[in-house]
Amino acid sequence: MEQQGSVEDAVLSLTDVAFAYPGEGEVLHGVDFELGAGERVAIVGESGSGKSTLLHLAAGLEAADRGEVHLAGEALAGLDEAARTRLRRARVGIVFQSFHLIPTLTVLENVMLPLELATKAGAAERRERAARQLAAVGLADKEARYPEALSGGEQQRVAIARALVHEPALILADEPTGNLDSRTGETVFALLLEQVRATGCSLLLVTHSHELARRLDRVLTMRDGILQAVDSAEAASA
Amino acid sequence: MSGLVLRAWLRDWRRRPLQRLLTLVGVIIGVAVVLAVDLANQSAQRAFDRSMDEVAGAATHQVLGPASGFDEAFYRDLRMAGWRDTAPIVEGPARLPDGTTIYVLGVDPLAEGPFRGTASDIGDAPVQRLVTEPGTILPPASWFRDSGPAHEARVTLEAAGGTREVTVIDRAAEREAPDAEEDRIAGGSLWVTDMATAQVLLDRLGRLDRIDVRLAEAEVDALRDALPAELELVPVESRGQAARELAQAFRINLTAMSLLALLIAAFLIYNTQTFAVLRRREVIASLRLVGVGRRAIFGVVLLEALLVGVIGTLLGALLGIALAQVLVAQVAQTVTDHFFAVAVTGVTPRPLALAAVFLLGVGLSLAAAMAPAWEAARTAGPGGSGRGGLERRARSWAAWLALVSLVLLLAGSGLIVTGAGALVGGFVALFLLIAGFVLLLPWVLVWTLRGLAVLVRGVTLPRIAVRSLERSLSRSAPATSALTLALAAAIGVAVMVGSFRGSVEQWLGQALTSDLYVVPAAPASARAGARLPQDWTADLVARSGAVSVSTGSSQEVVSDHGLVDLYVVRPHADWLEYLPLLEAEAPREPLGHRLATEDAVLVTEPFAAHHGVEPGDRLSLAVPGGQRAFEVPGIYRDYGNPSGTVLMTQAAFARGGVPPDGVGSFGLRLPDGANAEQAVEQLEAWLAEQDHAALVTRPGDIEQESMAIFDRTFAITHLLRVITLVVAFIAILGALIALQMERAREFATLRSLGLLPGGVRALVVLQGGVLGAFAALSAIPLGLGMGWLLIEVINREAFGWGMDLRLSWAEVGETVLLGVGAALLASVIPAWRMARMRLVPALRETP
Repeated sequence: MEQQGSVEDAVLSLTDVAFAYPGEGEVLHGVDFELGAGERVAIVGESGSGKSTLLHLAAGLEAADRGEVHLAGEALAGLDEAARTRLRRARVGIVFQSFHLIPTLTVLENVMLPLELATKAGAAERRERAARQLAAVGLADKEARYPEALSGGEQQRVAIARALVHEPALILADEPTGNLDSRTGETVFALLLEQVRATGCSLLLVTHSHELARRLDRVLTMRDGILQAVDSAEAASA
Repeated sequence: MSGLVLRAWLRDWRRRPLQRLLTLVGVIIGVAVVLAVDLANQSAQRAFDRSMDEVAGAATHQVLGPASGFDEAFYRDLRMAGWRDTAPIVEGPARLPDGTTIYVLGVDPLAEGPFRGTASDIGDAPVQRLVTEPGTILPPASWFRDSGPAHEARVTLEAAGGTREVTVIDRAAEREAPDAEEDRIAGGSLWVTDMATAQVLLDRLGRLDRIDVRLAEAEVDALRDALPAELELVPVESRGQAARELAQAFRINLTAMSLLALLIAAFLIYNTQTFAVLRRREVIASLRLVGVGRRAIFGVVLLEALLVGVIGTLLGALLGIALAQVLVAQVAQTVTDHFFAVAVTGVTPRPLALAAVFLLGVGLSLAAAMAPAWEAARTAGPGGSGRGGLERRARSWAAWLALVSLVLLLAGSGLIVTGAGALVGGFVALFLLIAGFVLLLPWVLVWTLRGLAVLVRGVTLPRIAVRSLERSLSRSAPATSALTLALAAAIGVAVMVGSFRGSVEQWLGQALTSDLYVVPAAPASARAGARLPQDWTADLVARSGAVSVSTGSSQEVVSDHGLVDLYVVRPHADWLEYLPLLEAEAPREPLGHRLATEDAVLVTEPFAAHHGVEPGDRLSLAVPGGQRAFEVPGIYRDYGNPSGTVLMTQAAFARGGVPPDGVGSFGLRLPDGANAEQAVEQLEAWLAEQDHAALVTRPGDIEQESMAIFDRTFAITHLLRVITLVVAFIAILGALIALQMERAREFATLRSLGLLPGGVRALVVLQGGVLGAFAALSAIPLGLGMGWLLIEVINREAFGWGMDLRLSWAEVGETVLLGVGAALLASVIPAWRMARMRLVPALRETP
């Protein structure tokens, strides 16, 4: 169990949250969790332990069966699908394990997409902000390329730029290095951390890697749908 | 092949029933339309042949005379001269109170034995009653079954002799052993009666229409020599030949339309089969991993297609038989309207037709699955190129197909320019051009979508929509091709029918130059042979105040081109000003003089086309007074008779010394400002007192009747057009569903980035709209081209009719809207599904 600060202060809070996929047993059992502004937290755990599900609930991609999820102070349970989507696109950036870039858009257009969806910025401003964000992840020269022309590491850097470009309060990263080799993974992770620090947003990272997790402010472990704090000795030995 | 492999493959049916249903629907509709048209054609053909056979019986030759018949005494003379295998006939159409046209065959039962057997022989009990009881008639057995009146009921018949009551005799009720073979085969529309009754019904007192003769080859010349000048001996097969050929041309048109529907269905099947394979690439990969070979993968895909083909064909055959019941009535009505009175009592699927359609349906399913099966076998296994590879290949194929299309387009154009192959050549050219155009579409689609993507650069969602369509070319190209074909067919047929209708209307306006017409009171199809007294002219003028009277009479005469329809006119003075002359050797004024004073005739456009006659040629016609050669100084437009007509002035006709023995119709021209209503009333009052039943009609009534026949003729084409559009709609629906399902991961990503459900709906509908608009715009040139080909090549070859091309932009616009509307409508379901999609499972899908 994990508790910190109040719901109002937290960027994300989950209270006694339970969830089951249709036709399956419960994946999360009464999870309580809070993420403060600017805080960077990692959740580690085995495959199928429920850590990605927690991320999906936090993003409002799934609705909790029980308990409450508050995102940026708003209770998701009280919002309809469209309102949840509006809240997500304004306050959240997501980095997926398998990048999820839109293959029919160029690199620049992929990064412009959240700005088009979430802000009222004009075309020129969108282009300028996206280009700046791409430059920040070191891909200024790849703007006009399509995702299929990039390496895996480059694609994930585009995904990071896309997640950050509209300056969300929270970045949700689901195994961002899971599809990359260790060297590229290390580079991408470092870039993610650097960008998160630079923008001051919160980060909730789901990963298998204890090594990466230890580099964040706090590490939690998910075991059979139950979220637990990790003491420093456990973290160090992992 | 392992049962488990098959099970792994086919279990998908339970998971995606809608996809399988769409594939099945494609096969079902394609097979149903082809079978229905074939059955309807065959049934109408059988009815036609049966009618001809029933009328002609076992005769080898027929002795024919003028349209009004010839003296029955001649038959007696013939028998007395030793020609024993002869049977006199009085025949003609009549109408039942419910409007059904029947064909009355008046026979001499004593002479019938060698010709039509017990159906009309005196040895049969029901036939004996015809002789002993005047006013009795033997309808076909099926009429009693279908229409209900009882044995010996009184039925009113309207024929050339006016309206008369007859007693109907049911053979089955009359016989001790019902269900005799001839009862079952004597369906159709032939009503047998004694000659005396027929003469009264058909206004032929003391006259015969023909004498059936059975001759050995050596006897033909002897009998021909024995005939008087006004009679001709013709072989039986020459009668009805023209009608047979024209009916066949009509059927070829229908068959072509049904094959087009099948072609569109093939696109649908290909689309769904490709999708079925692509969606199961994980299954393929897993099967390959455990050691299943490429051949087995290929086999399992084809086996599935075979299963779909068999189920779809069986269901399609059932639907086709049901649909044929609707179509056959339409086809039979057209044959009756234009060629010969036939009645079709039912559709009997022939085993051969069923076998052919079974092979077609299953073969088509297998052929459509061949490419996806090859794709599955080729890309199966780990490292397979999957969807991306297929799409890359599709894009490179588009360029190759464009090259092939150019070859096809050139070949089709060459066929048209050279005119090779006549009607069949015309259809081959049509299909080559259609195939060429359709094969060009993927390439055009790629470049159109690329152009659109440039246009919407910076507007992200529309850009995603068009780029996604381009990246799914294997999906979007067949769907747009199917819709383009259907819409083009709709435009082509609309242009052809519209041009035809407009030309017919214009022609009717030109041809009907009188204010009132007096015609025999008989069904339209019976009027050609019916006659009114020649000496009515003065009375008609006196009663109506007409300033000019024209007359016209149709009859069949023997010519050096076989039996031809001759129309003898005594026209109004200015008639040539209104006659739509197409080609003439001389200006109208000297032409009128020549037609009146020399042996000269005009021929209609279909006549010229069927018989290869040109201005300046000569025609030998057997007119009263003997065979004479007539020059043809001109050709005129006429839609009245698809077989073609020879037009002769009464002055030329009577020059042989024998004036026409009656008039087919009188045309009365009233003075300017005359009260037509009053003239009609006075004429009707006078006609009511006459022995011959006649009625007064106005040009408007004739136009209305003619246009009703015209519309009936093309009703079936409209029906096929609707079916084709339905198939195309399903094709685009299937393509959009497939497209959206394949792109589910992308849509889920967009949703996770913040695109609202409404945005997803808009995106999908936009894609449907783009495909629909592309198909609709592509359909315009193809449709107009098809319309032009139908008018200038197909119809000219099939019927000899020329017509002015009339473009109805309103109809073209309507079809375009229909296409875009259909595509938008088809996108509603996928849009709704995508907007409601659960995001997490879609995000987890393998890219």
